[in-house]
Amino acid sequence: MASGANGGGVSRRREVTDIYATVLEVVKRYHGAARITRVSYGAGMPVDRLRTVVDLLLGLGLLKSDELDGRPVYDVTSRGQEFLDTYWKMRAYVEVLRPPSPGERGGRRR
Amino acid sequence: MTETRIPRGTHARLGAVEGDLIVGANARIDVDARLVVTGRARFEGNAEVAGPLECRSLECDEGTVRVGGDLVVHEDIRATDSALEVGGELRARRVDVDRGLAIAGAATAQEFEVGGVLDGAGSLTAQRVSVGGRFHLAGPLTASAVEVGGSVDVALVTIESLEVGGLIRLKGGTVRGAIEVGGRFVSDEDLTFGSLEVGGVADLRGAATGGSVEVGGMFNVQGPFKFRTLEVGGIGTIHSPAEGADVEVGGKLETDGALRLTGRLEAGGSVSVRDELVGDRLEVGGKLAAHHAVFASTAEVGGSVATETGLKAARLRLGRRTRASGPLVGGSVELDDRARAEDIYGDHVELGARAEARRIFARTVRVSERAVADEVTYVDSVQVDRGAEVRSPPRKVAELPPFPL
Repeated sequence: MASGANGGGVSRRREVTDIYATVLEVVKRYHGAARITRVSYGAGMPVDRLRTVVDLLLGLGLLKSDELDGRPVYDVTSRGQEFLDTYWKMRAYVEVLRPPSPGERGGRRR
Repeated sequence: MTETRIPRGTHARLGAVEGDLIVGANARIDVDARLVVTGRARFEGNAEVAGPLECRSLECDEGTVRVGGDLVVHEDIRATDSALEVGGELRARRVDVDRGLAIAGAATAQEFEVGGVLDGAGSLTAQRVSVGGRFHLAGPLTASAVEVGGSVDVALVTIESLEVGGLIRLKGGTVRGAIEVGGRFVSDEDLTFGSLEVGGVADLRGAATGGSVEVGGMFNVQGPFKFRTLEVGGIGTIHSPAEGADVEVGGKLETDGALRLTGRLEAGGSVSVRDELVGDRLEVGGKLAAHHAVFASTAEVGGSVATETGLKAARLRLGRRTRASGPLVGGSVELDDRARAEDIYGDHVELGARAEARRIFARTVRVSERAVADEVTYVDSVQVDRGAEVRSPPRKVAELPPFPL
């Protein structure tokens, strides 16, 4: 599974924003030619569940769709890129601001 | 061209196949020493070749194909909705696999394109590597362009450009061009790069040498660090001496060693340098702490300055209510309203309204309205405005004492 949205140092349950970011990052790799099956392998999600996410991202203007060889393909919009930039930056801040767990105390700052 | 068919669910033994080989689902092929197919090898579902395979091209459909030894494909591999597992080395012209590709040995192709997971136990050499999901490689990676949507965990790299959506951890190596990472970048050993752009966190655990560095969240470098420009949105920590041109930090910058710049240092928050800080221009909105700091042109600090042996600049200005400990040395030194400093050395020193200083040594001095200085030693002139106070009578001298720094 793509751990794009779990890039922090500590494992945690994937939240819905993590899933959106993962899907957007995988779509971005295909430079406008992302097919749903390819994205499903990259994002580690079944196609039916992915379709729901893709529809939502299309509706929010974070993704756009086109047609290539008679099949739909997807690309990230500038608004989608803005979401990704904000998402990763916020993830970094959350990591800085979260209190260290007992095992990490004294060892977080290298 | 002739065609050899292995029906689904059957078991066959082959050595050489003239023409194409079509393998039905759930078939298994035992191999004499090496299976050589002069045409294409096509697998219609799950299948296993229990030994090395050589063919002109390879196609898989909706299954997992396991090759027990080396796989040599003179043209392309196309695995549609399929995974491919290779028990030995892999050589091909172009590899395009939808689901997953696992390789036990070294892998070489012009291009690897994998939708899901690319997992290599040996080295990988290619012009281009594109992975939608996860890319793991235990051996060295040599490539021109590497693009991964999800995460990357690789050993030593020699690549031109690297673009990763989520997380990348690499042992070290060289990326001659740009590294672009959405989430988190970690290099465990020494790294050389053209440029580094990370949305979230960059953690360089060895020495690092590169051009521009732009990090949205946090930046950490453990070993000696050489760079052209460093821009950090949040917090930057440098644990060894660092050299570069310009630094811009939105929040906080801490260095354990010296920081030597040829250009400007700007920080919205605070800058803390345990050793020497050198540059051309300084602008700090919050706190500046250093053993000593020397800037060739200007230094402006908005919050506080704390040095052990001084802050020096051609033009030095402390903002309103700024507190300074340690000597201030300048061509000109200006303290804005209510700023407070200890000893000040300069050609021209000016205390703004209600500013305070302990001792001033300068050619010309102005003490503005309601400002206070304990002592003033001057060469050319001193102007004490109405309501200002110099606690000891100003002392005119022919020559000033040597300045610190």
